[in-house]
Amino acid sequence: MRTLLSFLLLALASVVAAISTSGNRLLVVLDDVADKATYSKFFADLAEREFKITYETPKSDSLNLFNLGERTYDHVLFLPVHTKGLGPNLTPMTLLDFVNAQGNILLALSANTTTPTSLVSLLSELDITLPTDRNSLVVDHFNYDITSAADSHHVLLLPAPKPVRAGIKDFFSEDAGSKLIAFPRGVGAVLGNGELLNPILRAPPTAYSYNPKEQAEVVDDLFAAGQQLSLVSTVQARNNARVTVVGSAEMLQDKWFDASVTKLDGKPVVQTFNREFAKRVSGWTFQEIGVLKVNWVEHHLEEEGAPNDSNPEMYRVKNNVSYTISLAEYAWDHWIGFNVPESDQVQLEFSMLSPFHRLNLKEESRRLAAVHYHTVFTIPDQHGIFNFKVNYKRPLLSNIEEKNTVSVRHMAHDEWPRSYAISGAWPWIAGIGATVSGFLGFVALWMYSAPVAAKKVTVKKTQ
Amino acid sequence: MDQSVNDSEPLQQPAPPRGSTNHQITAIMSADSLERLAVAGKGDSTRTLLRVIILLLIAGAAISSRLFSVIRFESIIHEFDPWFNFRATKYLVANGFYKFWDWFDDRTWHPLGRVTGGTLYPGLMVTSGVIYHALRALSIPVDIRNVCVLLAPAFSGLTAYAAYLLTNEMTPSSSAGLLAAIFMGIAPGYISRSVAGSYDNEAIAIFLLVFTFYLWIKALKLGSMLWGALCALFYGYMVASWGGYAFITCLLPLHAFVLICMGRYSTRLYVSYTSWYALGTLASMQIPFVGFLPVKTSEHMPALGIFGFLQLLAFLDYVRSAIPSRQFQTFLWVFAGSVFGIGLTGLVIATSAGYIAPWGGRFYSLWDTGYAKIHIPIIASVSEHQPTAWPAFFFDLNMLIWLLPAGIYLCYQKLADEHVFVIVYALFGSYFAGVMVRLMLTLTPVVCVAAAIALSTILDTYLKAKSPIPEEHLVEEPTDGTSKKVSKPGLRASSKPYIGIYATFSKVTVAGAMTAYLLMFVAHCTWVTSNAYSSPSVVLASRMPDGSQHIIDDYREAYQWLRQNTKDDAKIMSWWDYGYQIGGMADRPTLVDNNTWNNTHIATVGKAMASREEVSYPIMRQHEVDYILVVFGGLLGYSGDDINKFLWMVRIAEGIWPDEVKEREFFTPRGEYRVDAGATDTMKNSLMYKMSYHNYNNLFPPGQAQDRVRGVRLPDDGGPVLNSIEEAFTSENWIIRIYKVKDLDNLGRDHASASAFERGQKKKKVIKKKGPRVLRVD
Repeated sequence: MRTLLSFLLLALASVVAAISTSGNRLLVVLDDVADKATYSKFFADLAEREFKITYETPKSDSLNLFNLGERTYDHVLFLPVHTKGLGPNLTPMTLLDFVNAQGNILLALSANTTTPTSLVSLLSELDITLPTDRNSLVVDHFNYDITSAADSHHVLLLPAPKPVRAGIKDFFSEDAGSKLIAFPRGVGAVLGNGELLNPILRAPPTAYSYNPKEQAEVVDDLFAAGQQLSLVSTVQARNNARVTVVGSAEMLQDKWFDASVTKLDGKPVVQTFNREFAKRVSGWTFQEIGVLKVNWVEHHLEEEGAPNDSNPEMYRVKNNVSYTISLAEYAWDHWIGFNVPESDQVQLEFSMLSPFHRLNLKEESRRLAAVHYHTVFTIPDQHGIFNFKVNYKRPLLSNIEEKNTVSVRHMAHDEWPRSYAISGAWPWIAGIGATVSGFLGFVALWMYSAPVAAKKVTVKKTQ
Repeated sequence: MDQSVNDSEPLQQPAPPRGSTNHQITAIMSADSLERLAVAGKGDSTRTLLRVIILLLIAGAAISSRLFSVIRFESIIHEFDPWFNFRATKYLVANGFYKFWDWFDDRTWHPLGRVTGGTLYPGLMVTSGVIYHALRALSIPVDIRNVCVLLAPAFSGLTAYAAYLLTNEMTPSSSAGLLAAIFMGIAPGYISRSVAGSYDNEAIAIFLLVFTFYLWIKALKLGSMLWGALCALFYGYMVASWGGYAFITCLLPLHAFVLICMGRYSTRLYVSYTSWYALGTLASMQIPFVGFLPVKTSEHMPALGIFGFLQLLAFLDYVRSAIPSRQFQTFLWVFAGSVFGIGLTGLVIATSAGYIAPWGGRFYSLWDTGYAKIHIPIIASVSEHQPTAWPAFFFDLNMLIWLLPAGIYLCYQKLADEHVFVIVYALFGSYFAGVMVRLMLTLTPVVCVAAAIALSTILDTYLKAKSPIPEEHLVEEPTDGTSKKVSKPGLRASSKPYIGIYATFSKVTVAGAMTAYLLMFVAHCTWVTSNAYSSPSVVLASRMPDGSQHIIDDYREAYQWLRQNTKDDAKIMSWWDYGYQIGGMADRPTLVDNNTWNNTHIATVGKAMASREEVSYPIMRQHEVDYILVVFGGLLGYSGDDINKFLWMVRIAEGIWPDEVKEREFFTPRGEYRVDAGATDTMKNSLMYKMSYHNYNNLFPPGQAQDRVRGVRLPDDGGPVLNSIEEAFTSENWIIRIYKVKDLDNLGRDHASASAFERGQKKKKVIKKKGPRVLRVD
């Protein structure tokens, strides 16, 4: 059954291969359609991944994110525009609705242009704060490219970002080697403390954000500095829609793809990692990597002699139950089994109001495009409506919240052990036997020994 | 039986010239005049036939007067509890008895569920299930709903018959039995719980109550083990049907105890009581819900105590016959004292050690009417647990209530064992009826019996056409007093001189007055039945300006909406009153319902209703609530709405969370419970208030919004704003309002700011640096 299912999934996976898991209609919003030439390599990479790209300017009448209540695009990429507003088709409300309808947004900002108010208020809803001054940019006097920004120090050079802590999957620094990410003339954002927010690329500790026009002499009112400045930030909404804010649109341009940069310490010239990084950031945003799915969930009775039906709706207290969940992860163009990172666990909660069990699931078997996690446990001695719940939410991975409701009933009247099987009941059983036999004996005695004459006397007396 | 037939004087008399008896009979039923007309035939068989016909007609009257609700409205299950019984019956019919017995109901008390099969009295459902299957077997394809709707009227006919039997045991006059039957048939106190559609436990329980009493009296009179066993059988049926069985469990021992105290211990009493107690207790323990309660709780201890006491008495009786009387005196005192002492200490020890449960709260509230209000708001909040108002006695029993003392008096005059029973029953019944409204039901049978005894005596005395001749009567007297009285010459009552009525005028006056009373009684019963007790309360009736009836069907409209528009397992949170109806009519899981077994769970719902949204939302999330249902009567002036019940929610919640929910905060500083502009902030911010008045002022011109139940004008501030829930449905007359609980915000914002954004309010810049910067920690 399970193998069959896996094959089916595999077949399905091969059909939809080579595109994002959430569709391939990509809208690019930019100032002038002609501008796309500067991003040609980036777009070529996207087109190679089978995205159907539509280019629109914000003012265009044909620009509509929704048609008859359905999304017209799966992903939107915003490149910097010079206008302050984005027009009636891209209000913050529309953008929010787009995210709520599982659309993904990649947002590239620039220090040269003002960020449109519509996007600012969208970001503020996401708890991402941009500097209030327009033209604020991030500088770092220790990590800049000495060839292109020898004086202004605004082309930051950063190593590919590693995961913040152990147990998080590494999407962005693999195969980076010694390559550096160039971050020219970018905007740094400050993130709130929400768990949906995740910085991918954080500024080095020596970086800070300032306004070169107003704060040229002295930075009196610092917006943010160091690691608090997030250069590339992500939001993954509860419905798994992804919003990524790239602080510098310029880093996506052709000239920074495969450019050569030099750090302050005069180390030899290195290649930029921008092209690969841009591919991974866009790939993550457009649901090509870091996407998890539950293939199936199966639970059944693990009792001897009990029917082995899958996913029954009702169990009994103290039943042994087995639970299996099959997880898969999408890797650019195909599904692979999802392996939990080391020092992390997929957990199953068996809960009613609060968890009665919280169990680590063990890897049971590994298939081509799925890994099965499994456990067996005993249902608590409490009847009620319980949930098998797998709540696996990790940074940069899509959320898994799998809830299967079952009722746990009490013991039926005929499921208790019989009285003679309980040794503690024997005295009482013996008592019943003694009473019955005693009564029968008494009756027999009475019947045979009743004196006829004496009986009449007693009858009179009672009356 | 035969004896009483012979003594029934009105029947023996030849037909009187004018309709003197006719008055009496028209009062009962016009059809009863047949009896008079046919009296020419004096034979036993004719009278038996007449009696059967009369009883059938009484049953007919009892049933048909209960059909008002079906005629006025429709064949529908009424009120709240009947909906559960109906649902359980459907389950029983669909799944069979064993499934029903082991029924775990996962659609109530979410997420706790309810072991329904083990926590209900199955008698009612099994009875209708048996009737249903029997009719099916006779190839009468009847709908189970109709069986349920008409069960109560059908049993009321049987109750009337049982009252007839019981009364016949009390008095030799068979007219008393017939009177008791018709009283029982149409007394509003009983009709209130047994109209068609009122498919509640009481529907069959009152019949069982009366019939068990009849069997008890029969067993006691005959000292028969067979009748005692029958009594136990029906007692078992009663236990299976209604929690009120405890009334029998306490009344029979009390009767026995009173008899013993009166020095009337006899082997008859011993045999009947012992056989009833032993078999009845065994029978009652077969009901899963009762289980070991009969040997564990204090309510059942009197029965056990009397059982033991009777054994002792029997033993003493034997000893007395065996040893000389002087030694016996000493023996008696020592023995009685030590047994009493040992028994009492044993009881105290067992209670304090926890083997015997102390008295339950419901029981305490029977003695101290203020007890529940202070300690157990959940019990006090039930309207039928309120103390009875005095007019209710007259409303429910009309003239019977003043015939009751007369009947009791007559019982004192004869004072046989069975009359002691009536006296004891009347005493306790009237006390309990005064404490709790619903216990009026248990009082009604004895009132009917006593009133019938009184009235039949009056009629028997005044309806004699012939004037009595004293000499003739002197001869008659011994037969009048029956055999038992002869043996007890000590009572003054039996040696009183016979007083007869000589003047025709007084005969006519009294008979005429009685006739008028009886006519008024019938009119009153009919009026009460048709106006007060026939409303299904699921459907409300109102009058249009032109006098025609207008049906307000908001409840069913809303339940139908739930049934059709929500997913099958959408959990509905509402106050517990509506739990059974939602389960029955909307077929959706509920958090709490009228089976108020879990006070904490109810308090949780109360807390969710009484708190601010920010507090309520996590509670609702935890309990997986999808929809909230509130009842709001402000638009229509429907006073039974949730705002009027709100204080009970607050009180019950306060009982569990005294720090978080405080009743005081719902009152203004001057101690008023207000919902208008003067309402307290706690009140205005409570979820219940917000849900009730959400969007309400849009119905009115600005500043004119008015609450017609509380008769106040609402503040003109745009009405309450809801963030974490949204309106899903409001019924035609706004009686039912259903709200959908929003999911968590997709972007992780709190609901207040999310809906502020949706309303177009810009987020306030959080750049203002007050205090230290909040840094993000990864």
